[in-house]
Amino acid sequence: MRHRRYPFIVGFLIVPVALYAVLVIWPYIQTFGYSLTDWSGESQTMHFIGLKNYTALLSDHVFLTALEHNGLLLVFLPVITILLALFFAFMLNVGGQGRTGGVQGVAGAAFYKVVFFFPQVLSVAILAVLFEAVYRSDAGGLLNGVLVKIGLENSQNPIEWLNDPGTVLWCLLAIMVWQGVGFYLVLFSAAMQSIPKEIFEAALLDGAGRAQTFFKVTMPLLWDSVQTAWVYLAIAAMDFFALVSTLTPGTAYGGGPDYHSEVLSTYLMRNFLYFGKSGYACAMGVVILFLTLIVSVLALRATRRERIEF
Amino acid sequence: MSTVEDPTPTPVAVTAAAPARPPGRDERFADSGKALNVFSHGFLVLWAVMIVLPLVWIVLGAFKTSTEIGGSAWAWPTNWNLGAFGRAWENGVGGFLVHTLIVLVFSVTLTMLFGSMAAYVLARYEFPGNRLIYFFFVAGAMFPVYLALVPLFFMLKNLGMLNTYQGLILVYVAYSMPFTVFFMHSFFRTLPTALHEAAMIDGCSHTRAFFQIMLPIAKPGLLSVGIFNVLGQWNQYILPLTLMQKQSGTDADHSVLTQGLVNLMVQSGYKNDMPALFAGMTIAMLPVLVVYLSFQRQVQAGLTAGTLK
Amino acid sequence: MGPTIEPGRLARRDLIKRAAAMGAVAVPAAALLSGCAAGGSGSTKKDTGTKTAANPLGVDKNAPLDVVIFDGGFGDDYARQFEKLYSKEYTGAKVSHTPTQNITGLLQPRLNAGDPPDIVDDSGNQMIKLDVLQKAGQLTDLTPLLDAPSIDDPSKKVRDILMPGTVQIGMVDNKFVTLPYVYTVSGMWYSGKLFKQHGWTAPTTWSDFMSLSAEIKKTTKIAPFAHQGKYPYYIDVAIMDLAIKNGGQDFLTRIDAMDPTIWDEDAAKNAIEAMYEIVQRNYLLPGTDGMTHIESQTAWNQYKAAFIPCGAWLENEQLKATPSDFQMTFMPMPSLPGDKLPATAIRGGANEFYIVPKQAKNAAGGMEFMRLMLSKKGATAFAQTANSLTVVKDGVDPTVKLRPGTQSTVTALKAAGANVFNPTYVNDYSAFATDMDNASAEVMANRMKPAEWLKTVKASAVKAKKGS
Repeated sequence: MRHRRYPFIVGFLIVPVALYAVLVIWPYIQTFGYSLTDWSGESQTMHFIGLKNYTALLSDHVFLTALEHNGLLLVFLPVITILLALFFAFMLNVGGQGRTGGVQGVAGAAFYKVVFFFPQVLSVAILAVLFEAVYRSDAGGLLNGVLVKIGLENSQNPIEWLNDPGTVLWCLLAIMVWQGVGFYLVLFSAAMQSIPKEIFEAALLDGAGRAQTFFKVTMPLLWDSVQTAWVYLAIAAMDFFALVSTLTPGTAYGGGPDYHSEVLSTYLMRNFLYFGKSGYACAMGVVILFLTLIVSVLALRATRRERIEF
Repeated sequence: MSTVEDPTPTPVAVTAAAPARPPGRDERFADSGKALNVFSHGFLVLWAVMIVLPLVWIVLGAFKTSTEIGGSAWAWPTNWNLGAFGRAWENGVGGFLVHTLIVLVFSVTLTMLFGSMAAYVLARYEFPGNRLIYFFFVAGAMFPVYLALVPLFFMLKNLGMLNTYQGLILVYVAYSMPFTVFFMHSFFRTLPTALHEAAMIDGCSHTRAFFQIMLPIAKPGLLSVGIFNVLGQWNQYILPLTLMQKQSGTDADHSVLTQGLVNLMVQSGYKNDMPALFAGMTIAMLPVLVVYLSFQRQVQAGLTAGTLK
Repeated sequence: MGPTIEPGRLARRDLIKRAAAMGAVAVPAAALLSGCAAGGSGSTKKDTGTKTAANPLGVDKNAPLDVVIFDGGFGDDYARQFEKLYSKEYTGAKVSHTPTQNITGLLQPRLNAGDPPDIVDDSGNQMIKLDVLQKAGQLTDLTPLLDAPSIDDPSKKVRDILMPGTVQIGMVDNKFVTLPYVYTVSGMWYSGKLFKQHGWTAPTTWSDFMSLSAEIKKTTKIAPFAHQGKYPYYIDVAIMDLAIKNGGQDFLTRIDAMDPTIWDEDAAKNAIEAMYEIVQRNYLLPGTDGMTHIESQTAWNQYKAAFIPCGAWLENEQLKATPSDFQMTFMPMPSLPGDKLPATAIRGGANEFYIVPKQAKNAAGGMEFMRLMLSKKGATAFAQTANSLTVVKDGVDPTVKLRPGTQSTVTALKAAGANVFNPTYVNDYSAFATDMDNASAEVMANRMKPAEWLKTVKASAVKAKKGS
């Protein structure tokens, strides 16, 4: 049985590893090399400057602000999305009241499951145009228009959602939640359906209320899916490039007002392509890499739990 | 799984069914949350409205004038004709969809093939360097793609693969490896070993055991990771923008959807032809929604298996 | 950055401002191209004719001419007009017309193959940077064009009919290798119809502007002032115009040299305080601080605001959204007390870069094409089809009817005479300009006071000076 084991292993690994090494790892290594230079990105002439880019990063307050914003997103995007998706999944799968007294979702569950997933298939370009209109800063905006109509807001003094230091980041976060919830709802629904109905029935017989069922029964059983969702959302939270660069005010890739929505990816790109400080941008990328690695290792450690077999 | 049969039940049917609720032990379950029920059902409805209205709004945009669009997002369309769609079509929106489709068919298939081959070997075979290769794959997920862009551009240029389907497909496959290997790895680890061992005893080669026994068992996992990959690659923006540019005047345009739409956005901005942009977005959006509606049950079923184990 | 202006960066700035404005993310083409533009060497056979007085550039009358035009904000119809002019002159020449939005994609392989077009409008977000082209030896020196007699008055050389500053902007590495053809002025805009209807007159001084604004605010529902808040670049132009007019040539020279001490002086202080007055008195269109250029300009087109600052591309950009009787009108930024420059002074500069590739077969034809573009007929055709002015001094035939906005820029430019300024710090110090953008946006949103703005901008200037 051991014969021809190594040829097989090599045969299976060679194409994926080669492809990955050439198209992903090698460019990144080159990037690391660039991070030690004063490369301007506009010609191939550059000088080796050692770790100067890295020390400069430490005193760059915009970089630190962006880091803080990504940190906030890293906490809130997964938490809000997952909680909301869990809530919806619970409602749609076991939150209803059936004629037969069994466990089932609320009426119209299938409809909601389909509709809530829609935003996931929208191209990011469509999101940008759509939410520019939603958050439009005068009474003509979709959101402001509603608020003015129901009298919560004066049309002479509208909320400038994306131009207000207090709201801008949360508005962007809301877009990601809006887009993502449906996907995770479906993911969690699927997991919930694989939980035997008897478990819910038993909880029900024991007199558990809906909230209790949710926190004591559903949540622990879904832990695997939640972990998956966490990984995906954490990676999404490190990016945010498309939304910040298209929706927020500010020159070259947004990030405004006054850096209040700056994230690492936009600041990096601005340095890379607009300020001509590509070496510096590469150093930033290397730092981001290590931070993400640390965060994801910590997150996976923290969420590791005993699995419940059923 | 109770109501998935009918994808779009009308609200009328729903309320008709509700009053027939019998008393009994069920009451207790419901009682604890009557107020909660009104609130949460209301929230479901609100969320659905928050999704459907914006989509309708995009479609309506195609029937507005530039002045109406620029003036207020609440403007009601007055320009009820398909002119904007014609202009959007002339700008190649249909082509963008086709290009995206061509790329995705190959890139997702190859991603799944190579990804599960690597993940399988790493998950089921002990050999020196196994962990190293595994981490080598997984670490890539953390690095922002745009940092590799410039070296990547030159690499593809040297390979003569700029603005080619095969170039973009290979890049997509390579950049999807981390996710795919990560998830398929955890999936293969959970599969029972007995079958595989039986096959080996029967004299099956390692390769045949993989393709004929392990892959079919792994189908649910493949499907769910495949869905992740379709969505991920569908929304790629910065890679095609850089790698799928026309290299000469006679070079064919292979723009994929995201990039095509942004080009359309720039063009509409220059010419202030906003209706064409909205028409383009509608053309881009509707087929995808239709495809999703037709396959939503498979998507939902496929995701059942797609969790970390 | 040296003191020489880099047209590539100038245009790039314009591109990022405008392409980003439209939600697009600029393509890293410029960065990627470095090193690729170096073309195939070897000499190509040139088509040349004999030089005569009527044919000063020595064009081969039957050689085909290959024209590549960036099909962006100005469209490509205007180029067909130029081609008609060329065909009329050289009936035997076959003229080919290629519009594109991707100059890099089209041009780069042809440069590499040594088979480039004869004249290219190198613009848009995928233009090839001119300094890259020049370093790669791909550009024809256009000095013969400057020294050739002009079409309309052979006693004048082409260089003498250009707007001041044009030749300087066309220089890369001290060689005139590109013709910046479009001349853009910046200032404030209003609707002639609206003003007539209410009996208002365009103010020339800041105090007039303020009292008119007070009247507008009191007697109508119209907001006095709108701006493209999402892109603070626009309001920065307005603020700096006020400052430069107040501080005069001295201020202009020193800001371009990134002298940090100017931010301690009165000109800068007067300018930002004047602008802040608009904010304080609540003269802004509600929501304007967060609006895109399209949103704010359309609101202004719908008579929701009286004034808006913008460059001369405004009329073409808003063509579809402007009511037919709107009478779009340009005016210089109003003058502050103690201004060193007259009230008529305006910001103006050349952009949109035309080149003749070094290896072009019909390079002489390409230059001749430029000479035709620089004729009154060419400039007038451009003003009519693209609604913008060109670098040809008094180039527009006064009997031809232009759109009202374009016409009003002609008038303003004439009135300004020699008092046209064009600061370059924006191109040379992009990090500084970005800091100023952010600070100005904060002032407009009333989250920052003028004193703090001066402090912030000065700190950034000190940093920029050190870094250069």
